[in-house]
Amino acid sequence: MIVVWALLGIGLALGASLGLGSIAPWATRYVDLTMLPMVVYALRTSQRSSMIVGCTTGLLQDYWVEPRLFGIDGLVKTILGWALGGLGARFDLNTFWGRFAAGASVHLLDEGLQAGLRRLFGEALAPVALPTLAIRAVTGGLLTAAVLAIVGKLGTARSAARPKHRKA
Amino acid sequence: MAAVSPARANTLLLGVMSFALLLLMAASVRGGVAGLAVAGAAGTASAPIVAAERSITRIVLDVIHFFRDIDADERENVKLRREVARLAGELARGGELSQENVRLRRLLGMREDLVPKSVGASVVTSRLSGQSRIVLVDRGGSDGVRPDMAVVAWGGAVGRVVSVERDFARVRLLTDPNSGASGVIVRSRVEGMAVGRGADPMEMLYVPKYADVVVGDRVVTSGLDGVFPRGFGLGRVTLVGAPIGASKSIRLEPEVDDRSIEDVLILLQPSGTRLLTPEEPEVRP
Repeated sequence: MIVVWALLGIGLALGASLGLGSIAPWATRYVDLTMLPMVVYALRTSQRSSMIVGCTTGLLQDYWVEPRLFGIDGLVKTILGWALGGLGARFDLNTFWGRFAAGASVHLLDEGLQAGLRRLFGEALAPVALPTLAIRAVTGGLLTAAVLAIVGKLGTARSAARPKHRKA
Repeated sequence: MAAVSPARANTLLLGVMSFALLLLMAASVRGGVAGLAVAGAAGTASAPIVAAERSITRIVLDVIHFFRDIDADERENVKLRREVARLAGELARGGELSQENVRLRRLLGMREDLVPKSVGASVVTSRLSGQSRIVLVDRGGSDGVRPDMAVVAWGGAVGRVVSVERDFARVRLLTDPNSGASGVIVRSRVEGMAVGRGADPMEMLYVPKYADVVVGDRVVTSGLDGVFPRGFGLGRVTLVGAPIGASKSIRLEPEVDDRSIEDVLILLQPSGTRLLTPEEPEVRP
């Protein structure tokens, strides 16, 4: 069942991300919706599952919107899933500010890792605009906090609806 | 045998996955079979998601366009009436110029192919992140689209096709930091290379420091890169800074706003330098 939920999350995030790129292309500069499944799994389940979810989402995203370096988003999201999953296991990040910080930092680190990997493969880099990075961090943080709150509510509703096993 | 702790096992898994993904990236750069196979699998797996996304997006866009059109129609009407009056005068003048153009071309023994063969395409999705600027269009190899073809929109050059699948193609925009097109300043005929800088204005390189360039000059494709035919708008000069070495420092505001591209034309003939061809001799009975 966990695989079905993961695939559903990845599909929704990918569809929403591609839809955003079609309806409001300018918004793709400030937010990466495909980051959300990886963050949700890092903060709610385990380090390993967040790495696998991040890698899968990244590879699917690469196929559609990466012109040259197929695998770059897969690698970046795997590393971020490992880092955030590790932090999530050590600290309680399931508060509003914890979630906000997690979302903001992965959006910032994503930019840095992408730039580093592109440089490694000989690509030219665009100058980094600090206001854009700041907006990206705030948007990513708020969105992550909102999505985790919704997922938390859904999880609570699901466990309440599930029939309880009676003791013999 | 001592059990490996979960944290160490995950670090080991990270190492293995990172190594595999770096190999995959290297393979995709070289066009290797492994890269193509994994990319193909990713494409097949996510194709239903994209099909569903396109259907939903189309409905959303139709609703947005409907409301935008209601508001815009009234203003457009007034604007168009003024435009018709202005164009009537222009048309008369254009007729004169056209005749003169034909006479001069005959004198030069040349003719110009102004309408390259093209195919229209709609943008499926875009990615305008800091380091990568790309659009996905709904025409691919089955429509005759090939890598390195030029893509234009109303107003000017958009980018070039970088990879093609059966039903869609990826287009790297001119504002991408790895993009470039040879350009010429319309007023002074000074040539240079317009390159992308992500979200920042484009830059025009290799313009001699003594060249005549001022803010507001329009830059169009020169056709020398062999991809874009000449004459498509690239941008307007917004800044002429202090020279760096032997070159002027020039910034361009792109002619086509890549945040609002919806439909494009893919030029099927790479006619960069082949616009001017000798006129065929007239055959007389």
